Formats: sequence, C-alpha cells, structure tokens
Amino acid sequence: MEATNQSKDVLVVGAGIAGIEASLLLAQAGRKVYLVEKSPSIGGNVIKFEEVFTNLECSTCMIAPKQQETLQAERIELLTLSQVVRVEGGLGDFKVTVKRNARWVDLEACIGCGACFDPCPVSLKNEFEEGLGERKAIYIPCAGALPNVPAIDREHCLRFTGEDKTCQACQEACVFEAIDFDQQDEELEIKVGAIVVATGYDLFDPRRSPQYGYGKVGGVYTAFEFERLFASNGPTGGEILLPNGNPPKSVAIIHCVGRKERGYCSAVCCMYALKFVHYLKSKLPTVEVAQLYTDFCIPGKSAQRFSEKVKGMGGDLIRAEVVEVAKENGNLRVKYNLPSGKAGSLEVDMVILAPAIEPRADAADLAKVFNIAQDDAGFFAEEHPEFSSVATPREGIFIVGCAQGPKNIQGSVAQSEAAVGRIISLLP
Amino acid sequence: MEEKIGVYVCECGPNIAEKVDIERVLAAVSSIEGVAVAERYKLLCSEEGKKFLKENIEKHGLTHLVVAACSPKQHELTFMNVCEEAGLNPYLFQLANIREQCAWIIEDKDEATEKAIRYVRAAISRVRYHIPLEKKEIEANPDVLVIGAGVAGIEASLLLASRARKVYLVERESSIGGKVKGFAQLFPRMESASALLEPKIKQVVENKNIELMTESEVEQLLGFFGNFVVTVRKKGGEERELNVGAVVVATGLQEFDVSGLPQYGYGKVDNVYTAGEFERMNSPDGPTQGKVLLKDGRAPRSVAIIHCVGRQEKGYCSRVCCLYSLKLAQYLKSKIPEVQVCQFYSDLCLPGKPYQRFYEETKGKGVDFIRAEKVEISEGEGGVAVNYSSESGRLEVRNFDMVILATAMEPAHGSAKLAEILNIGRGVEGFFIEEHEKLGPVSTSLEGIYIAGCAQGPKGISESIVQAEAAAGKILASLVPGRKLEPEVKVSEISEAFCIGCKTCISVCAYNAITFDELRRISVVNEVLCRGCGNCAAACPSGAARHRHFTFRQIYHELMETLR
Repeated sequence: MEATNQSKDVLVVGAGIAGIEASLLLAQAGRKVYLVEKSPSIGGNVIKFEEVFTNLECSTCMIAPKQQETLQAERIELLTLSQVVRVEGGLGDFKVTVKRNARWVDLEACIGCGACFDPCPVSLKNEFEEGLGERKAIYIPCAGALPNVPAIDREHCLRFTGEDKTCQACQEACVFEAIDFDQQDEELEIKVGAIVVATGYDLFDPRRSPQYGYGKVGGVYTAFEFERLFASNGPTGGEILLPNGNPPKSVAIIHCVGRKERGYCSAVCCMYALKFVHYLKSKLPTVEVAQLYTDFCIPGKSAQRFSEKVKGMGGDLIRAEVVEVAKENGNLRVKYNLPSGKAGSLEVDMVILAPAIEPRADAADLAKVFNIAQDDAGFFAEEHPEFSSVATPREGIFIVGCAQGPKNIQGSVAQSEAAVGRIISLLP
Repeated sequence: MEEKIGVYVCECGPNIAEKVDIERVLAAVSSIEGVAVAERYKLLCSEEGKKFLKENIEKHGLTHLVVAACSPKQHELTFMNVCEEAGLNPYLFQLANIREQCAWIIEDKDEATEKAIRYVRAAISRVRYHIPLEKKEIEANPDVLVIGAGVAGIEASLLLASRARKVYLVERESSIGGKVKGFAQLFPRMESASALLEPKIKQVVENKNIELMTESEVEQLLGFFGNFVVTVRKKGGEERELNVGAVVVATGLQEFDVSGLPQYGYGKVDNVYTAGEFERMNSPDGPTQGKVLLKDGRAPRSVAIIHCVGRQEKGYCSRVCCLYSLKLAQYLKSKIPEVQVCQFYSDLCLPGKPYQRFYEETKGKGVDFIRAEKVEISEGEGGVAVNYSSESGRLEVRNFDMVILATAMEPAHGSAKLAEILNIGRGVEGFFIEEHEKLGPVSTSLEGIYIAGCAQGPKGISESIVQAEAAAGKILASLVPGRKLEPEVKVSEISEAFCIGCKTCISVCAYNAITFDELRRISVVNEVLCRGCGNCAAACPSGAARHRHFTFRQIYHELMETLR
C-alpha cells in the first residue's frame, strides 16, 4: 500500500446518531469529514423521541450538543439535501459524486426566525410528524431541528409545481434576504480514503399486516406516531390524544408487528414498548395499559432493572399470539389467542403497534451505488457477522448503526466508534 | 489598566429590534461605570458585523466585551473568535441572550425591554470580574495498556499497535484467547472458533509493537489521560512500571456459580453440567477429546438444556444464553444424531438480524422447546428428572440422561479490585460503568480509560469486538502520536490557603479529577481531567474550590444586577 497519494479524509453517509458520532470522532482525530444527509436536517430518528431508555433521559437534550458540535466543527463539511450517486476507486482513493439539491434558503444568511412560514400559502402534512401535524412548503421538520434553517420543498412549493411561478411570499417575508431562488442543484466530486455508511432504518409498515387494522380503523398508531404524540415539540404539544381529541382510557401495545414477515427480532421493540408504558402512566396515571407480546427480549445489564421499574407502574402483560384489531361499538377490540390456544380479547380505545426495524426503502439502490451486498433481510452485509461486523468485503467501506442490522443507540454508537477505529488504523 | 467595556446590542434584523426598545437598553447601560461604548448593530454575526466588532475592539482599546444578541449556543463561539482576532482574551467576553429569552418570548415590548436591560446590566457586572484564561498544551504518550487478552483485548491491541504506538497486552492467564478459545464452534454460522481466533493470536504474538505480558496483573495506576504510570506484576514477583497514555479494560466474564442454587442439583445429581463444562466436553482438546459422554461412559439419548440459570439472582438477561443453548443443541445433534434435545426456556431472546434463522435451523434439526417456569432438577428414574411448571400452570416431570445449565454471565473475578485500582465505577450488576449508556458506551468517567467486551456488560462476540474496535477508535482519535493534548480551559481550581482537607470535592467529582495531596493535606485539581462542571465549587464548605469562569464574584454580581 502506497502511503503518499492516499486520502485520509472520510465520507460519512447519513447524519443520524451513528453518522454524527463517527463524524465527530473522525474530526477529533484531525480528519476532514464530508457528512452527507438526505434530509434538510440532522439527528435522524433519535430526534423524534421525547425520552430514551433505559434512564429515560430527554432525547433532544442528549443529542442537541452533538448536533451543535457537528455544525460548528471546522473539519466537518455537512451536505444536507444530498445523496451519494456514484462511488469509484478503493481504500485510500475513493472518488465520490454527491448530488446536492438546492435548499433555496441560504445557510449563512438565514437566522432561523421562521418569519417565512406564515406567509407561505401551501399547507401539507408534516412527514416528520408522521402526518399528525402540518407544515408549509418552506419548513423545518420540528422545533429545535438543526441546522435551524428552513428548506423549500420542491414537491409542493407553488413556484416549482408550476401553480404559481411568481409566488415569492417567503422571499418577501425574509428581511435577511436568505431566500435564494437562483440556487441550483449541483453535483460535487469528493475524494476520500474511506466511507462510513450510516443510513439508518425505516419501520415496517403495518399496512402490510392488515390484521392490525392500521390505516383502516382510527386509534391505531405506530411507534413513531406515538412518539410524536408524546413529544413536547410534537403536533399535540405532548398531549396523548385520540383522533376525537380525548385522552385514551385504555391502551393496548402490540409487540412484534412484522417480526414474522421480516424474519428477525428487531432487538429494541420490547424496550421501547416498556418505555411507552412509562410515557402513558406518567402522563395519564389512570390509563389502563396492556402489552401483548410473545417473548420478552430485554438483553443487557440494565434492561431488566428498567423493565421492573416500568412493571411497577402497573399494566398487564399478556402472552398472546394471532393478534387482531377491529372496530367494535365505536371502540377497538383486540382479539388474541393465549399460548394454551384459548381465545381472549380486550376492549381499548387506543392501540400502539411496535413495528419491526427494517432497512431503508432505498437500501437496494444504495447497495448498488456503493457496490456492497445486502443480506437476506436487506440490511447491508458485513464482512463477518462476529469478527468484522462494521467492515464490508469492499475494503474501505464500513457500515454502522441500523444500516447494518437492527440495534439500539448504544450499539449504533459503538459501531460508529468501531468504524473510526478501523479507518484510522487502516489509514494512519 | 483602566476598564473599557464595550456593549453591543444586535438588532437581529427585526427579531430583536421590533420586540426590544434597543435605544432604551443603550441609554440604561451607557453610563454604567467602566462602559466605554454602547452601540447597536443590525446583525453582529454577519461578516460585516464581525468586522465591525473587531474594529471597535481595536479602535476603543476595549478591555472587555458584552454582546447582547442570541443564545450562546448560537454565536458565543463566533464572538469569542472575534475577540481572539482583535487581540482580546476571548474569556473577557459575555453574551447576553436577549433574543430567545426576551424578544422571542415576551409579547409586551416594555416588559421585554426591561428584562433585556437587566440581562445586559448583569453581563456588564459579570464581565468585569472575568479572568483571562489561556489554552494549555500537554505532552501525551500514545502507548496503550490493554488488560485482558480475550477476543476483545486482542482486537483492540491489533488495531492500536503501530510503529508509532506500542501496546502492552496484560493477561493474567498463561495463554491468550480468553473464553472463546475454549469453544469448538461459534453461533450463528457454526464456524470453527479456532479457525477465526488462531490467526489473530498469531498476529498478536508476531506483532513487534505488541508486548504480551502473560501471567501478569495490574497492581497500580497513577497519573491521568496521556500520562499514566502503571505497575504490572508478573506471577512470582517481577514488577514493571509502564508509561502509557490510555488503558483498555477487556477483562471479560465468568460463568455464574450455580452451586449456590440447590434447585438445579448441580454437584449433587450426576450428569448435570454447566454450559461451560459442556463446551469443554465437546471440545476436541477437552477432557473427553470431544466425545459427549455420560458419567457411565455411554452417550446420552436425551438432553435437557435449562435456560436462564441465575438470571433472577443476577437481575439481568445475559443476552447470549438462548443463542449458545441453540449452539449446544447443534453440537449434540451433529455428534449424536438420534439424541433427543429439549430446551426449557421462559422467553426466547434472539435479538439481531441473523438469529431467528439460527433458531429455526436448530429447531428444524428436531430440537424441542418447552416454555417452563420453576425448573428443579432431581435424581430421576434411570436419569435426571426435570420438574417444571408448564405454560398452563401444571407441574410436570420429564426424565433425561443429561442436563445442561445455561448459566448467566457475570464480570470476571477480580473486577471489584481492578475497579478500585483504576478508579472507575461498577454498576449494581457488577460490570464496569460506561460514561454514558448511549453516547459513551466504551468510555468511562475517567478520561483515557476505556472498557470493552463483557467487562462492560453481557454480550456476544460480535458486540465485544465492536466495543474493542470502538475503544481503539476513541484512543486513535484522541491520542495522536506527536500531538499534544489541549485540556478544557474553563476548569476548577482549589486554593491551597483555604482548603481544609475535608475531601468533599473528591466525593462530588464525576470525572475523578481531584486527588488528595497527603503531604500538604489538601485537594488538588488535575486540569487535564477536569471538565469544568463546577460540582466541587458548589460543594466546597470553605470556599477553596472555585470554577475559573464561574467564580463567586462573577455569579454574585451577575445575579445582583438581574434581580436588583
């Protein structure tokens, strides 16, 4: 290996908690980092959560200093609204093409006051809020999002849909002259020595398992939706409310949604289901909560302590199979089979589904771009599952966090730090 | 030198200007003693704004700077950099947040203005007591001590060792490879453990930058991140002193001792083995040369594997027992195809992408699974009786030739003593505590000391190796050969004259940054380790401990002006 022409810079793809951790550590090591993020802001899925298990600390407070540090780090070049479209070369000498979409809001000039939101004539469902809240065509995903600079959504902005090519409502409202319709999409060429893929996960869409009634009957929520219903910066300001505006009196949490279809245990659902019991009991002390599960999977040194604490708050645990949800007399009827085969049922007014973690919808495309393999479940395939789980067979390309497989925050952060260890050791 | 405080209020476009009467703010503070200049500007964080500030600092010969603008999270660093460029010590600066805390949250302009005036006055009163702080640089030794030569310690050593960095790998046993060396195969692919491990062991032995010290234990650790001095003792006497910059603790696990739980019949009923013992029996270099045999020399026709042995007593799920129990079933089925294997479990814990399939494969080989509680082992008719409460609550009994107990994992013996030597914490479960459960899984509260593998918590090989690589990553990123360390500037200090030696500060320090000087009978802050949290300053009963950037006077005058 010739040391002279090698680049020691690193490309990190995905600015969730794994990508952020890898970037900060590499920057600390003195490496130049290109951090490419598809969405307009950084923080990934973790910023959707109000609290994180097992110590139930405030998630935003936990990650905000890391986000700030990322934005301020001289050696980290953050490219939001960007995607990697081509990767050539190999370890020490990758040539990467990144497509950066125009934000149409100047990152330097904007101070994040939000004066542009009100005048925008377009309102639509906010996907960050899982459709439970609204946003404008110029928007930030949620209060506290970083960078605190809006982006213009080309799918809905009247100028770009062609409905009103002269609309300049946001531009008129901005006294900092930060709105710049002349910005163009661009392709950047980047040279790096190594690549960390930290593109995260999606949740299994429960519509694929119609027995849970999701999308058909009201009052059935996914874990992400429930997180946003509980979030103090969410669409209800943190009030847990049913579609009719009332707080639920009884809730069923259904575990393992999509587990059979996906063919693996997602490793975190039991834990976040327990966290949801805590959410519910702390805000609505009289609410009745039942968890329907098959096997309680709470590995690790501190999980059981957490589980006992939550179980002490009350609620039922029902070992159940073949769970179904249907509308009945204006309420939700959850039917199930006990392990003995006997049938049982519950009447509740809210159902929360704990769906499996699955690879990003575009994982196959990314695998092609990076020329790395996917495993049977669609996650990126590692060099060796036990001895080399953050490396890929393509030397110089590393996979971390849930892009490699379902795991919790601790495991994701450890993998990021591990990838950094491998990279610095390979390219000292 | 005469005090010349400059006060600059940022309009932040209309954000502050429309909600706060800036002229009133300026009028209220311009006559305060020491204020040389008080002005407004449209946007101080802009390039022109920064230039304006820099020129003003130079033009007026300012000794202190107050900016009234946004949150320090937004632009404190921006303005500190301006100070530095203008030749003003950046710690002689204070930011008053009149945007997020006044303009953006108070509807009434008078009220917002009143609050802004108090904030700016407070900043002025505070800044005059600021102390110029200087960045320091400290030499650091890039070499690393790795304690424990199992898979985690080996992996960390191999990643860390280079021409510029020596690794001392200390192992208390006579050979390296740890627990994994005793395994024949590994889940989930049933690969040969030695085929994966032996090349790594060979690399360690052949690596000139790794000094392997077997039959050795760490006796003492002094110093701090970048400059540790470690005493290692070889069995039988010989003592050595090593200088290292960081330490990786990879001391692994041991099997929970089941002899304290009489219900499992271990040691009393024949043919009851722990999982560790069964691994040895199955191993080609084990006591039976790999033959699975009963005490009477026959091969077992039926084997029960009991899960979660010790789980309740330990208070945690050990994460790998379900998986290794599946592996043990595969061992049995491949050696004795007609053997009946039955797993008694309470919850199957198979977290992660490859393991459901491993379970299904194992089940497909004809392994039975029985959900059971209250399992008790006793002498049975012609074998071992497994008594249990079935899912329907009925008490049942089944007889087997052999029983294997899937015992919990616990920290390796000696962990308590090592924690004391290294001055790192252990949780209620006995494992070393990480700095932060999620964001700092391999760091500890003591900078420069890292934990990896089962020393940190129960886990499999995959996660252990990831943690070892992570510990290496943290060290490679922070201890760069040839680079000096830049410790935090805003730290605490303890006045020798005022310290009464009560050690309260030591008990509240979260970073082990304070030590007691026995000779002078006072506490001493290590500036490299101190992160400036201020706990000691708040707790000190004699006023000896103080935070350099949050002194009593600074806070007092700031508060007085806010509340006056």
